[in-house]
Amino acid sequence: MNFFNVIRWLAWKDLLSELRSRENISSMFFFALIVILIFSFSFSMDQQTAKELMPGIMWVAFVFTGIIGLGKSFTAELQNDCLENLQMNPIPRGAIYLGKLASNLLFMLIVEVILFPLFVIFFNLDVFEKLPLFVLILTTGTLGVSAVGTLFSAMTVQIRAREVMLPILLLPLIVPVMIGAVEATGGVLRSEPISLYRQWIELLIIFDVIFTIVSFWLFEFILDH
Amino acid sequence: MIRKIRKYEGWFGATGAVCIAVGLYFGLAASPPDSYQGEVVRIMYVHVPFASTSMTAYGVLTVASLWYLWKRDPLIDNLAHASAGIGVFFTSGALYTGSIWGKPTWNTWWTWDARLVSFTILLLILIGYLMLRTFIEDKERESRYAAILAIVGAVDLPIVHFSVEWWRTLHQPLSISQRGVAIAGVMLYPLILMSVGFYLLFTYMVGVRTQMLYLKQLLEAKKGRLLGEVHL
Repeated sequence: MNFFNVIRWLAWKDLLSELRSRENISSMFFFALIVILIFSFSFSMDQQTAKELMPGIMWVAFVFTGIIGLGKSFTAELQNDCLENLQMNPIPRGAIYLGKLASNLLFMLIVEVILFPLFVIFFNLDVFEKLPLFVLILTTGTLGVSAVGTLFSAMTVQIRAREVMLPILLLPLIVPVMIGAVEATGGVLRSEPISLYRQWIELLIIFDVIFTIVSFWLFEFILDH
Repeated sequence: MIRKIRKYEGWFGATGAVCIAVGLYFGLAASPPDSYQGEVVRIMYVHVPFASTSMTAYGVLTVASLWYLWKRDPLIDNLAHASAGIGVFFTSGALYTGSIWGKPTWNTWWTWDARLVSFTILLLILIGYLMLRTFIEDKERESRYAAILAIVGAVDLPIVHFSVEWWRTLHQPLSISQRGVAIAGVMLYPLILMSVGFYLLFTYMVGVRTQMLYLKQLLEAKKGRLLGEVHL
């Protein structure tokens, strides 16, 4: 099977099983909703503070739900020795990585797209003119999290204490994504000129490019006998 | 190889101890106080060596990890493992002494400065690395996964540093950099002496720890828990 077909089939397979079970996306969605609610109870917010805190709350909710989704991404492959089968197949390892990355990215983006209108309602945001910028920041930020996350998800699925180890390994490494995404989102929300936060979007893009390549290369060593 | 380490490690330890002892004398007693910072500046003689050694520790870890993925030599993996463990000691030392230095000069124990945040991330990655190793039963897989984490961390740390630097920064610029030396000679010599001493100490500690890990693995192999691959 050629490289791009592997990516397409893997992502399609994940999407199909998700469409049938709806396990992943629904659990991610409700978890994120609870995180948002907890945050709004923890800080008593008026209109002004809500605008300041909202980017941070949004990205914490997105990253936490992302970790839930990423954690499940490879556990599904443990049933019926699917992971063993993937390893034994004569297909490029990098294609497995990209296929899994595609489905993880897709699941996270779907949840974020459902959640985003809720943020707009809860925090009374005015976003409609700046929607393309939000889409750009959401996509680049989420790609950064899932590029590193997919690699670590494949790694932690085969060890003990995997639920704990994934966030412990992943969260420190995605600090640049968190800073970049929160600053850029804040900049857009405060209606600043784009020159003030363009560097953060560039940081996200650089992070995405570097870590997709590095993880693509290192994935070779994860599924290795 | 392991015999060579055994033969020379004592010299590293002894020379390191002498350097640190002489450096401490010059740093704490013989050198003058700083014109701005006063006596407080003397913590520099410990803080700077701690910080530079911990970066070297991560450098050794990265090179050893790449080397391991390439050659799959168990001894190199022991070297990486040892370097990470000793790195935790030096990184915590740098953060600890930095915090003590920060209180009188910046009037705060802690601030979200680029270098502080990147060192904290460095420490978290090293601890995560050691934790990851304890959670994997299979020895070969443990080495492989740990090497992968170390390499991802090595790529990540400069990005963390630059992103936090853009974000906010307070740390004084480095006194010794490519742009030249912004430090008086009488303070520079104890600092160099201390740094050399710390590097020798690091080499000695890593040497001992590598041997320990190697021998432990050998022992387990002889007990029959690990099959094949280990050879003296």
